[in-house]
Amino acid sequence: MNAFYDFIREQLQALAASGVLPQPFEYTFVINALLCAMLIGPLLGVLGSMVMIKRMAFFSQSIGNAAMTGVAIGVLVGESYTSPYLSMFGFCLLFALTLKYTQQRTQLANDTLIGVFLSISLAVGASLLLFVSAKINTHVMESVLFGSILAVDHTDMNVLLAVMLACALIGLPLYNAMLLASLNPSLAHARGISIRTVEYLFVVLVTLVTVACLKIIGAVLVEALLLIPAAAARNVTRSLPAMVGLAVLIATFSCVVGILLPMQFHIPVPTGGAIVLVAALVFLATTVIRATSPRFRGASA
Amino acid sequence: MSQASAVRGPAVVFDDVSLRLGGQTVLDQVSFRIEPGALHCLVGPNGGGKTSLLRSLLGQMPHSGHIHVEGASKPLGYVPQSLDFDRNVPMTVNDVMALLGQRRPAFFGAGRRQRAVYAQALQRTGVGELGAQAFGSLSGGQRQRVLLAQALSPAPRLLLLDEPSAGIDEGGVRLLEALVGELHAGGVTVLWVNHDLQQVRRIAQSVTLINQRVLAHGPASLLDDLPGAAR
Repeated sequence: MNAFYDFIREQLQALAASGVLPQPFEYTFVINALLCAMLIGPLLGVLGSMVMIKRMAFFSQSIGNAAMTGVAIGVLVGESYTSPYLSMFGFCLLFALTLKYTQQRTQLANDTLIGVFLSISLAVGASLLLFVSAKINTHVMESVLFGSILAVDHTDMNVLLAVMLACALIGLPLYNAMLLASLNPSLAHARGISIRTVEYLFVVLVTLVTVACLKIIGAVLVEALLLIPAAAARNVTRSLPAMVGLAVLIATFSCVVGILLPMQFHIPVPTGGAIVLVAALVFLATTVIRATSPRFRGASA
Repeated sequence: MSQASAVRGPAVVFDDVSLRLGGQTVLDQVSFRIEPGALHCLVGPNGGGKTSLLRSLLGQMPHSGHIHVEGASKPLGYVPQSLDFDRNVPMTVNDVMALLGQRRPAFFGAGRRQRAVYAQALQRTGVGELGAQAFGSLSGGQRQRVLLAQALSPAPRLLLLDEPSAGIDEGGVRLLEALVGELHAGGVTVLWVNHDLQQVRRIAQSVTLINQRVLAHGPASLLDDLPGAAR
């Protein structure tokens, strides 16, 4: 894969050198980040629309918080400070599956249980991070919390690509089943869907995507980018294909613009913050359109 | 209908089915048999366990006892009481049909052949013109018709109806009865949870009256001997 990344990088850098592309394209880390953005956009757009319909936004937030604990564990066990993927994936998957298992066993309301787990993950993560903070650079912590394009390397891109493939292989064939399982379990049963299986698989996919996006967007804001493009698309669409398509476009646009704008105008903001701010502006625009256009105002009447 | 003429619906046997939820008895040793190709109505008071029995048949309840389906039950059509749905989610009737009727992700839309199948099913339930309309904007009766349409696609061998006529207007009720009668005539086994005793008398071949346990089971005419028993 590295040769492929190098090939794309060389082509773009040549175009930047000849003035066809803006100056930030001359930097390797910008191109790495943009390649990641092209992967993250479709992932978050498709998955985010499902997260929104299934009302699981706070679940991904709790996974983001759990990732902080994963980073701390990674530092403690001697993993790379900048890419402690084993610990992050390991702890976050354990966390997510425990949450889902507890919810299925206790039948507690989703928001209650996620609220409890979110608090626990935040408390454990903050405590452990404070404990290991002496061992690591503050910038590492900042990049975990808010994302940093400077830190993106080939490992991160390969992880993203692998997660995207896993989502395509598992998530696409089961997309309808996953959605139906939460809309009407009885109907899903009648259609031969194993609700427990698809619910667990959905939780695993959200976890994988959340962790894989941490480097770019950060633990604190990854949930926002799952939710905001889907919410913005919902404002101005009337069908599922249109909503998902637009969510993908908005997520990709937000990532690309959020990466390039601060570079171009030398604005010192973290990538995650810039990306989410761009997405938030799009959301604001679609909200205005929905509020003022009779076409969309009456869509759900 | 030609598509239903070759169908041989299964028999359904409930054998000593019991269910307790939250310390409360919902079903108590329920046993009865629905013959292949029968149009069977399940009647009883609110909270009598009708929907729970249907959900037990779907494998959704932690019941004890056994439920046998003798013969092929697939395709299985099911019409729920409602589809819990955030009305603001932009999903058209065609999207709902695609969500329920195909493996290809609904956000890719339906293929040409599938679209024709969905259009035909919607046409049969009298909502053929609503395919592009937002599902959330439909009236309760229109939603029920869409839910009925999805149960017809693909043509079922076993059709489970959970009070499908709730919220449907007079014309819709007649259409529903005609459609179910047509499927029944074609050999489909129908299990219909129903509150409306007049309707049950009109359409049912056999009836089970339950209130946690089976109070009566037999031909529909048994309701004439139990006036108002289900209310």
